[in-house]
Amino acid sequence: MQFVMDRNNPAAMVQCWVELYTDELYTWAFYKTNKKETAEDLVQDTFLAAYQGFDRFSGKSEVKTWLFSILHNKIAEHYRKQYKNPAANTGTDLSYFFEPDGEWKKEERPQAWDTDAALLDDPAFTSVLNKCMDQLPAHWNAAMKLKYLEDKKGELICQELEITPSNFWQVLHRAKLQLRKCLELHWFKNK
Amino acid sequence: MMKRIAHFFMLSCRKATELIEKKSVTRLSVKEKIGLGLHKSICDACTAYEKQSRKMDELMQHHTHTHTSTTNTEALKNKIINGLPEN
Repeated sequence: MQFVMDRNNPAAMVQCWVELYTDELYTWAFYKTNKKETAEDLVQDTFLAAYQGFDRFSGKSEVKTWLFSILHNKIAEHYRKQYKNPAANTGTDLSYFFEPDGEWKKEERPQAWDTDAALLDDPAFTSVLNKCMDQLPAHWNAAMKLKYLEDKKGELICQELEITPSNFWQVLHRAKLQLRKCLELHWFKNK
Repeated sequence: MMKRIAHFFMLSCRKATELIEKKSVTRLSVKEKIGLGLHKSICDACTAYEKQSRKMDELMQHHTHTHTSTTNTEALKNKIINGLPEN
């Protein structure tokens, strides 16, 4: 939708946008954060930023595109903060999975999973997946979520988290190992 | 000679699985690519790991897509409008 911009009345414009775009922005924010309160705060911050930055909106892009770009930044900022929270920076050590020489520990060697296509539609599996994600240390969780934030490339995520690329995939590596372990314990081994 | 070449590319499982994750976010160097390929050709565990890692990507991708919440956006809209300055 395209609107004639009334530059003299930003408050009315932004109110109009709130009515029009809150649903979509909220759905996206929730999809990215999985937390109602967080998603609501992010959407509110987005509109506040839009209001404050109203003069910078050129009108060249669509309003919706502009609002979404603000929201994306807010989400990234949210995860960056979460990532940097030092209290949460603990997780299983790599030595849990590997011998000192780097080989898999015998009992941790991956074996094929019995996966079926229906897995994705199984609410019981979804709840296990949720639980396993929540169990990851916050900064690992943040790195994982950012990886799936649209189709962001690694370099971009590194910039957003302000970490080096090698640090990023090392974090991803650990997060994946732990997530894998959790899924195996609570799902695949029980099947 | 073959032994020395093989040794040059030799990876541990720890390193190989790290490269599998690296590959999912960025490009591997030629040396890393060859090393990973060689390693997987002789290591069932890391081959299984890669398959599972991709499966987890797929699950995570899908999972976040299907996860929607029903929230009262009318209340949220009011909250946002009231929270704007000059209101």
